Amino acid sequence: MEFTWPWEYDFPPFFTLQPNLDTQRKQLEAWRKLVLDYCRHNKIFVLDVQESISLFQNKAIDRQLSTEGINQVLESLLEYNQIEWCDKAKKQCLVYWKNPQEWGNLIYRYASDKGMTNTVCTFYELTAGDDVQNEEFAGMDQSLLVKALKTLEATNKAEIIMFGGNEGVKFF
Amino acid sequence: MRKRPGIGAIHKQRVEQERFRGKATELQDNVFEQMTNQMEKFRTNLETFASKHRNEIKKNPAFRKQFQDMCASIGVDPLASSKGFWSELLGVGDFYYEIAVQVIEVCLATSPRNGGLITLGELRQRLIKARGKAQHHQEISNDDIIRAIKKLKVLGPGFSIVSLKGTQDTSDILIRSIPGELSADHTEVLKAAEAQSFTSVKALKSTLNWDDVRCLQILNELLRDGVAWVDEQSSEKMYWFPSFFKPLMSEDEIALPPPN
Repeated sequence: MEFTWPWEYDFPPFFTLQPNLDTQRKQLEAWRKLVLDYCRHNKIFVLDVQESISLFQNKAIDRQLSTEGINQVLESLLEYNQIEWCDKAKKQCLVYWKNPQEWGNLIYRYASDKGMTNTVCTFYELTAGDDVQNEEFAGMDQSLLVKALKTLEATNKAEIIMFGGNEGVKFF
Repeated sequence: MRKRPGIGAIHKQRVEQERFRGKATELQDNVFEQMTNQMEKFRTNLETFASKHRNEIKKNPAFRKQFQDMCASIGVDPLASSKGFWSELLGVGDFYYEIAVQVIEVCLATSPRNGGLITLGELRQRLIKARGKAQHHQEISNDDIIRAIKKLKVLGPGFSIVSLKGTQDTSDILIRSIPGELSADHTEVLKAAEAQSFTSVKALKSTLNWDDVRCLQILNELLRDGVAWVDEQSSEKMYWFPSFFKPLMSEDEIALPPPN
């Protein structure tokens, strides 16, 4: 199904950082929502800033958000805990259209539904195995998976294990 | 007992005239009595008419307007009735009160986008869409909406009706749902921007014959009010107005509370 762009995307001023602060606030809110919705729709867990330039431009109306504008949007997403930087250079970030805790709960529910508690499961099985293809967390970036599992560890619902060079998790 | 403006005025007149006693008074008494009877007749007829044509008034906006005009011509204002003339007549709760509440909801929901300024056309589309999901489908007209908004004005300064061109064209009438005056200059700029939903200093100078300073000042005030956004990726700064920018009836992203 095609992604539905919000009305703002066709509105030329959306690509100019607004001087009026109240309006800018609304603008940034709309950009945050666009980034999250877009990533959710396209199952993007990690956003590469350089590669995602097309998200911040609309060729049909010949407008694009400036570097400063893009930085403001990313700063705003960070402020609302909707992204987390993967590197100090701020080239890539995890996008939390679901946050680690929400992912953790979803994965745990899947594991208990499938009767996987008290058995060990590899990371690979959880993200790339045949059984998980229809799950939302299929194809999940490993660093995000670890964060999700860590939230489960904090509530004693899981334990991350290393065995024979593989990384896995045991659910309780 | 509900006050009847028409008869009240006549009462007053009578009291005045009683001060100047004279033979003429007798004659005037007769005339007065005739007029009172006439008013009574009008009122009774009106109420009979209303109940007889209750369905028509309920369903047909044009008919409803004619009925209200009839009331106005003899000084009766059904909307001012504290007894809930419309709830008695239509039996569905106060019709205009309901519309007024929905108008507030739509304005609240869209004001982040358009700075609290919405065209009557878009308002009506959104109202119809929201009401369509409710059990009773009553067609509402622009006239109904304006009456409901005027009712709101009684409650406070929040709502005002801005007419851009003095026409009945629904995109020429704007509803402002935040307090504050739109000056004549603001209205001129809105008029100029309406057709394409944007304008610029250059365009305003040529259309309105204003100087640079005046153009910029008004545009900046509209920016400050959140009614206009600026686009800096054109050959000159363009000022865009979400209020006029194609309303989005296809998108449900503006969520209204479910109608009860």
